[in-house]
Amino acid sequence: MSIEVKNLSKIFDKRYVLKDISFKVNNGETLGVIGFSGSGKSTLLKIISGILEKDSGEIIYPENSEIAMAFQYSALFDFLDVFDNISFPLVERKELRGKYSKSEIEKIVKEKLKMVGLEGIEDKYPSELSGGMQKRVGFARAIVTNPNIILYDEPTAGLDPVTSTMIEDYIVQLKKDLNAACIVVTHQLSTIKRAVDKVIMLYQGSIVFSGGVEELLSGENPYARQFVSASIQGPMNIATK
Amino acid sequence: MFELNKTLTYNAFLLLWEQLKDFLITLGDMGQVFVKVVKRILLLRINFKETLEQSKRFAYDSLPISLTIVGMTSAIIAMQLAPELAKQGGADYTGSLSALVMVRELAAIMSGFAIISMVGSSFASELASMAVSEQINAMSVLKVDYIEYLIVPRFLAGVLFMPVIFIISATFGLICAGYVSNWCADLSLLNYFTSLWHGLFIRDIFIALLKSSFFGGTIALISCSCGCFTKGGAKEVGLATTKAVVWSFLVIAVWDFVFASIFYL
Repeated sequence: MSIEVKNLSKIFDKRYVLKDISFKVNNGETLGVIGFSGSGKSTLLKIISGILEKDSGEIIYPENSEIAMAFQYSALFDFLDVFDNISFPLVERKELRGKYSKSEIEKIVKEKLKMVGLEGIEDKYPSELSGGMQKRVGFARAIVTNPNIILYDEPTAGLDPVTSTMIEDYIVQLKKDLNAACIVVTHQLSTIKRAVDKVIMLYQGSIVFSGGVEELLSGENPYARQFVSASIQGPMNIATK
Repeated sequence: MFELNKTLTYNAFLLLWEQLKDFLITLGDMGQVFVKVVKRILLLRINFKETLEQSKRFAYDSLPISLTIVGMTSAIIAMQLAPELAKQGGADYTGSLSALVMVRELAAIMSGFAIISMVGSSFASELASMAVSEQINAMSVLKVDYIEYLIVPRFLAGVLFMPVIFIISATFGLICAGYVSNWCADLSLLNYFTSLWHGLFIRDIFIALLKSSFFGGTIALISCSCGCFTKGGAKEVGLATTKAVVWSFLVIAVWDFVFASIFYL
């Protein structure tokens, strides 16, 4: 399984938010998408996940692919407890309705919670969990249908460094366990270093860098250098975004 | 001075235009949602568990306030009407007039207003906060149809339970009016209830039930549409709730006029 994006473009208010974006992610591989806020990273994930329509281009993946997404602020259903959040697609998705018995659902939920290092919190509501736990429950819900393409929208945003490291480890582990093609949108260099195999960088909706992690961190690309060194000086003008 | 007036007039028109545009957008959203909801109902794509849950909420949450508003309104009308009719020698008509006013008009619209403030506002704010926290997007990614899960149950709850609330509220209102007439104008309860039957017509009751059903569906649709299409943050959640309440009040008033024109003109 893999996912390939070809010449993808999206226009909002007569302005290109994404312009001619192309890349491919194979199974067992993670692509990092970096760039300043407003560069089109989250829009890219929303188009791949089907939340937004593309204006042109192609997104190619095998027909029986299952796409999952872990949202920036987890997007857990606050009126449901952890168990019901994770089992939600198994119970409510039209084609899965009635497919699993109650005991099977219980087993799957427990297994997925174990995969993200959370056990015994099935009865808790999202408001009773810390930010890091909410992210992990979001991961568990995303992987409950065993997806082969996983999208992460800023998975470590707002978390402390230790919890961020733990989340990054789970991203790596889940990719291995599910042999999935993963796309991680992030601002964090630590996430790039620990959880990503290759990187694209977006600026004003276009790809300005594409390559490996090493190349990003120590290469000559002026956009990459500015991003890595967190410099105001460089080809990317923050004031114009 | 002239320039100031010109600017004020211009700003007033601009505000009015913005409001009208906003209303037309809401109407468009509502139309789209309505088509999707009807399609799912016809295909029997109904989440019965959620429908039961929302129906319980619709009927149970709004009943106390609905009873209070309709009860108070009918008591006040009886308080004004009964002594005057008694002075003119027409005390015996108090029951039939109350029945006419309550069944044809007041019980449905007052219950509607109570439901807008209790349930409509809560539908709108709940769905708006789900929209801004990406919970509705999450449902789409999980391939769960949010129209089927969130809107169809609320719409059905409105259509099915608003008539029930109407019947209970109207009955309570008429009983309140009877006791107040007895207290204010010494009208015997037996006379009041005998006269009441003369003002009750099966046709009026059916029209009122149909109207209530329309009111319930409209309130649910406007509230859900305003909520689901919210973008932004806490401020927008507040604005969506206000919009849902204001537009629901207006549309209910228009519906009431349309029903009166069709059936009683």
